[in-house]
Amino acid sequence: MISLTDVSYAYPDAEALTLEHVDLEVERGSIAGIVGASGAGKTTLAKIIAGFIPHADGGELSGTVRVDGRDLSTGSLVDAVSVVGLVIQNPFNQISGAKYTVREEIAFGLENFGTPRDEMQRRVDEVAALLRIEHLLDRSPYALSGGQQQLVAIASMIVLRTPVIVMDEPTAQLDPAGTRMVFDVLSALRETGITIVIFEHKLELLQQHADRLHVVADRSIVLSGAPDDVLADDRLAQWAVGTTRYVTAGRLARERGLLPPEVPLPVSFEQAERVFDRERSVR
Amino acid sequence: MSTSIAQSSSRRVRNTVLVAVGAVIIVATYLYLVIGQPAEVAESSTSRASLIAMGGYLIGALLLAIGSIHRLPTATIAMVPVAIALNIVVGQIVAVIGLPLYLDSIGTVLVSALAGPAAGVVTGILTNVIWGLTLSPIALPFAVVQVVIGVLAGYAARWGMFRRFYLAPIAGAVTGIVAAIISAPISAFVFGGATGGGTGAIVGAFQAMGQTLLGATTLQGLLSDPLDKAITFTVVVLILAAMPGRFRQRFPFVREYRVFGKTSPKPTGEVAVER
Amino acid sequence: MTSTLYLDRRSPVHRLNPVTKLVAMLTIVVIVFAVPLWWVAGLIVVGVVVPAAVVAHCGGRLLSLSLKLLLPIIVVLVLVQGLTFPGGKTVLAEWGVLALTTEGLLFALGIGSRIVCLVLTSVLFVLTTHPGDLMGALTERGMSPKFSYIISSTLQLIPAFRDRADGILLAQQARGLAVKGSPLARVKVMMPLLGPLVLGMFTDVEERSTAMEARGFGSAARRTALIPVPDSTAQRVSRWLMLVLAVAAIVVPIVFGVL
Repeated sequence: MISLTDVSYAYPDAEALTLEHVDLEVERGSIAGIVGASGAGKTTLAKIIAGFIPHADGGELSGTVRVDGRDLSTGSLVDAVSVVGLVIQNPFNQISGAKYTVREEIAFGLENFGTPRDEMQRRVDEVAALLRIEHLLDRSPYALSGGQQQLVAIASMIVLRTPVIVMDEPTAQLDPAGTRMVFDVLSALRETGITIVIFEHKLELLQQHADRLHVVADRSIVLSGAPDDVLADDRLAQWAVGTTRYVTAGRLARERGLLPPEVPLPVSFEQAERVFDRERSVR
Repeated sequence: MSTSIAQSSSRRVRNTVLVAVGAVIIVATYLYLVIGQPAEVAESSTSRASLIAMGGYLIGALLLAIGSIHRLPTATIAMVPVAIALNIVVGQIVAVIGLPLYLDSIGTVLVSALAGPAAGVVTGILTNVIWGLTLSPIALPFAVVQVVIGVLAGYAARWGMFRRFYLAPIAGAVTGIVAAIISAPISAFVFGGATGGGTGAIVGAFQAMGQTLLGATTLQGLLSDPLDKAITFTVVVLILAAMPGRFRQRFPFVREYRVFGKTSPKPTGEVAVER
Repeated sequence: MTSTLYLDRRSPVHRLNPVTKLVAMLTIVVIVFAVPLWWVAGLIVVGVVVPAAVVAHCGGRLLSLSLKLLLPIIVVLVLVQGLTFPGGKTVLAEWGVLALTTEGLLFALGIGSRIVCLVLTSVLFVLTTHPGDLMGALTERGMSPKFSYIISSTLQLIPAFRDRADGILLAQQARGLAVKGSPLARVKVMMPLLGPLVLGMFTDVEERSTAMEARGFGSAARRTALIPVPDSTAQRVSRWLMLVLAVAAIVVPIVFGVL
């Protein structure tokens, strides 16, 4: 679905490359989690996948970016955004500012694409129910908490039903319950065939929901793989990417001789439970 | 594919025509009011002159704005609300503090310097529309003045007047002179010179010295506008210098016309150092 | 959450299509400026604007707002033109260069009546028309959605902006700055106020435009609207009638030279 081959990019008038030799493959109907230290180039990568680079930001982009079989750099930005939806980091800036109620705010994109009115109403109600924000529909988007704004921002993007959705830290303002709900919604969307790329720090949730993880460091993607393999990789610390507390516990247990080196490190609660139960029974 | 190209080129022609017609109407309105009217006005009624002043300026400004807005990319459109809010909020603060200035076009000049005259036109006219919606409808007949400021500031930027700190106030003063001349018929014929306490007294003084109404409002404008715009342009060049170079260079207008030269303007003098 | 003067009331005036009200306002302005008789403006105020304000339950607010706007203008107008009008001949009283003349007072009456009518009509329009409805109605009639976006977005930005500015201004005053000294000194004090405020707002712009484009703002598709703007045949007809009236007000005095 998404295929980046040897992609390098420099911002206009910048002397250094922001990204260098990036390769990324994301399968249709899967969730790809992308992790990396802040400043590693994640937002830039998000904009490349969504077509904003090079259409809106200019600069020097090399390599090929194909989404849904198409080269996004050839068409226009409007072509790109009808294939890839982008949820930006700060929900306050995601809100259009031009609408007086949440209901109209969610419909803003649909209006721009000329969706018929009855279909708009149906889709807004649907997505509001999905994210459980029906009670906010008649409020002003500016009278919401940060977490509520984030849900509205997500709603206003998934209502467009683009085949691909890119999300740049979509749960930064949400409480744990809200965060879990968003991830559940993403998993439900994946079941309908939508491809999701999520830039996120919450590794335990990525471990549960993502199909693959990709690590951004040193201006490139340095590691790709199944979440369990990536999270147990010893090099994560050197790339300033954390890991789950179960991996950390597993490493401590290894250091103290409680876990033999040949036993793979646990990355989730369930795995940790299993591994330590087995070790106890062996002893 | 070819139809969309034909469409966009015909739209471009339409926009150019709108801008040209709008500009001609504004100039023609002013010339008509200055050359055609004074004798009649001095006698009694300014009614027809005020209708022509308001109608001509408003229609001209609207045509300019309609012809300009289609050229603006979304990045510029997103900046305009911030600029208008800046115009209005600073304009109000200045009035509250009691400075004898307006300073209500900082945002317009800023947008013109970063995105060109077309963006300045849109920012200018909508500033007065929003001023009319939020504070006082008296601003609306003066919309054309902000439009002219936007155009002139945009060309000042193209000619490199924001590259040096001492050039900006000069461009501002010139803009102020044009603004004073353009706004004088509105002050005279629509408001009888009574746009405010201080300005009204000055108009009265000039009339008492034997000036016509239009002459008095023109002179009154020339007393305050050039200084006001010189300060405005100076404030803008300081704000621009404080902006990250990467942000400024994102604007195609800035790159195409090398608005800031090859590098960013280096702050010189004590005002800049204080920041 | 917006900064306009709009008053949320249930009234027939509020329910009118915004374009009908806009056309009515423009017609009134054209009539009072095209017909050089002060009592025409008076008649419109008494016969149209005031009754409409009463029906719209906005009378008090209209009065207080308009007084605040008009009082300084009218006082200055009467003083300046009454005393220094260049065409003044019939002198009523004289103090040195200042002479109170009948012509000057009549001139002030002519201008003043038009300004009063202009301000009352436009303030009533703003009081009874929600900016969102106005933008929706105008976009439906072919106005560029970019205009609508800028206006709506600014109206919501101003309160946030003003809060930030007030905060900084208060901090400056608490440090004993900003309120005293020469104008130049006060400008200097304003600079540190302006700097952070402006930079913060402008750097947000980049993200905001990305978010808008991601939601198809640049699309060339013909836009649809979630919420329809109510309209009626009666209003459509009356809009055309008002248009005819406005044209007549301009043409008749010229052609017949009656006024």
